[in-house]
Amino acid sequence: MANIRFRQVGRVFRQGGQAFVALDGVDLEVADREFVAIVGPSGCGKTTCLRMAAGLEHPTSGSVSVDDVPVKAPGPDRAVVFQQFALFPWKSVWDNIEFGLLSLGVAADERRRRIEHYIGLMGLTGYEQAFPHQLSGGMQQRVAIARAYVLDPKVLLMDEPFGALDAQTRVVMQEELVRLARQHPRTVLFITHAVEEAVYLADRVVVMSRRPGRIREVIDVRTIRRSERWDDLPRIEDVMDQASFVHLRTHIWKLLREQQGSEAH
Amino acid sequence: MIGPALERNEMLRLTVAGSVAFLALWTLAAWAGLTSRQFLPTPWEVVARMGELIVQPFAGFTLGAHLLSSLQRFAMGFVLAVLVGIPLGLAMAYFRGVDRLVTPLFEAVRFVAPIAWVPFAALWFGTGIGGPVLIIFMGAFPPVLINTYRGAKFVDRKYIEAARMLGASALRTITQVLLPAAVPSIVAGLRISAGLGWQSLVGAELIVASSGVGYMMVKGQAAVSTATVMSGMIAIGLVGLLIDVALRRVQRRIERQRGL
Amino acid sequence: MHAVHAAAPDRQPWLPRLGWTLGAAAAARLLWQALTVWTGWVSPARFPTPAEVGVALRQIAIDGYGNARLHEHVLRSVLLVTMGFVVASSVGVVLGLAMGSSRRIEALVNPVFLVLRPIPPLAWIPLAIVWLGLGDAAKLMVIFVSAFVPSVINSYTGVRQIDTPMFEAAAMLNVRGWRYWKEVLIPGAMPSIFTGLRLSLQASWTTLVAAELVGAVAGLGSILNQGAQDIYPAMILVGMASVALCGWLMTVGLGRLERWVMPWRAVA
Repeated sequence: MANIRFRQVGRVFRQGGQAFVALDGVDLEVADREFVAIVGPSGCGKTTCLRMAAGLEHPTSGSVSVDDVPVKAPGPDRAVVFQQFALFPWKSVWDNIEFGLLSLGVAADERRRRIEHYIGLMGLTGYEQAFPHQLSGGMQQRVAIARAYVLDPKVLLMDEPFGALDAQTRVVMQEELVRLARQHPRTVLFITHAVEEAVYLADRVVVMSRRPGRIREVIDVRTIRRSERWDDLPRIEDVMDQASFVHLRTHIWKLLREQQGSEAH
Repeated sequence: MIGPALERNEMLRLTVAGSVAFLALWTLAAWAGLTSRQFLPTPWEVVARMGELIVQPFAGFTLGAHLLSSLQRFAMGFVLAVLVGIPLGLAMAYFRGVDRLVTPLFEAVRFVAPIAWVPFAALWFGTGIGGPVLIIFMGAFPPVLINTYRGAKFVDRKYIEAARMLGASALRTITQVLLPAAVPSIVAGLRISAGLGWQSLVGAELIVASSGVGYMMVKGQAAVSTATVMSGMIAIGLVGLLIDVALRRVQRRIERQRGL
Repeated sequence: MHAVHAAAPDRQPWLPRLGWTLGAAAAARLLWQALTVWTGWVSPARFPTPAEVGVALRQIAIDGYGNARLHEHVLRSVLLVTMGFVVASSVGVVLGLAMGSSRRIEALVNPVFLVLRPIPPLAWIPLAIVWLGLGDAAKLMVIFVSAFVPSVINSYTGVRQIDTPMFEAAAMLNVRGWRYWKEVLIPGAMPSIFTGLRLSLQASWTTLVAAELVGAVAGLGSILNQGAQDIYPAMILVGMASVALCGWLMTVGLGRLERWVMPWRAVA
């Protein structure tokens, strides 16, 4: 059972004697095996939320806990997929995926089994000995995702993972992620500024306001996905063509548009 | 305005002209008879002397044997500098406490020219191999340490975060993340280090050695044989160049492997 | 070396750093005392005690050692270095700029340069002694050689890395002759020139100390030489510390000059 709980989380930055409130009173619970996406304008603190769940940053007020244990430091139980991939350039694909397992002390044959499984799943067969700089952006991110999944983490934290990819690759990766998520359900917190991506992937979409970041609205997508049977549709384009999809997307766009108009204070 | 690159022919002509002019001036100065040939030999006499030294021992050994002796010392000092410098640099980059402790001490000693260690080297090691090795170490050590430190300290933050996320211990982070990340910087440091080490070697051999190219030059100077001294200079220059070229190859290969 | 991380733009506050430095210095001093005096692990024949160094320092500062008092030694060395350095770098910078801006000159001079360049400055000492004896003339010769090469190389690269648009603008504005040098070449190459000057100064200083070690009447290197001959470790240490201090001051001085000449640049 692994949930993520943000309780009254606040984050204040101090720079050159001035205080900036990045997050203000964020309350959010990501239930076990739920896929939650956070969207919001730049600087709204959505990445900060993820990094706090990862243990890379800490709240100045409130608390963040995973599986009801307060988050203190980063660890393989909360695997992160970074926007810039963060694969080690000096290690091969195989070694990159294996790195975390070695720290976990997983036995050699178990390691091999897991790595081979995810290499197959992520379409990386044949590239095991390649180095990151030899791979395209999409391939590198697949490795990063494999690296995260192979840890069998409690939660998966994805920080705009497809942000550095070109549009076509992005679409392919979204489809693959859905496939992967259905096959290996996990608690996921997904940050993005692409609204369609959020609606396509998530069970719930959290819309944040601009700084100071607060939750503006939480939209339930799962119910609509079920009732409109999006999963039955073969391709991502078909899903995005659905009136129900467009409606949700437009609604979120409007919310975000409001943020543009309002003055930051 | 710099203008476009010269046509190959013109460049060749000018280069040849420059070399010829230089050699001609030199030869003329030697022939002018202002001083003895021992004092100012012609270029050809220097080359001839070099040839002699390769077969005939001078100051105890042939030129080849002297060079070998020098290279041995250089290798020892250089390897020692690398064995100490790289781990220390990594430790300083990872553990702030180590950094705080070592940096002031290092900065204090750093400005002492390696050659200034000669008296202590002589005191502690006599004419043994320890003396030159110490001086070479003092020359070769700072660039290795600094470049390792900088390479490891300024690793892109995302790799450190990834390593932490993946549960890497301190040792694993240092050896599998910091060290590989710092390799390009380290190799650049090694090149500088080799150059400085080689230079320090020469200085050391002028004073505290009983063999080696520097020693040979000192003996040549005592015998007022400019040709011998110049042969030594050429040999030193050549070997130093070869070492640098070899390291540059290594550097290029690593850069290619990383896709830099 | 300060503990600045790649992302953080703000510099570390200097007070805690000073505190750490002083603390480390105090600890080192204590360790020194412990090793040499309290435990006697390091025999005074090999390394002086703090007290002995104090005595030696007083001796050389007041009575003199090796033919002169400390400040006289320092002055002599600094003067020699300055003379050699100024002459060598002036010539070197001009040549480097000329080689950089004219491919003809570069082609003409290059062969000689390529031969001279790999030869370490210290390797010139025996030759200088053969030609000029053990006096100041030989010292100046080696200082010249060691300062010359870095000046040339860095001025050359300084010119080569000037952006082409600058040259095009100069051509358009019809800048020629002396003005061309003054307004385009020199300012554009200035950062590299200063790097070259720094390297030249360091090389000059190192070479002089080495030359004085080999044989000199006075100067910091001769302190070291005399101290070695007299087997006087404390004086050797005083000599080394003086060399380090002077070297550091010269580098700082040059840094100040650099900042004054190019206030727009952040000096590394």
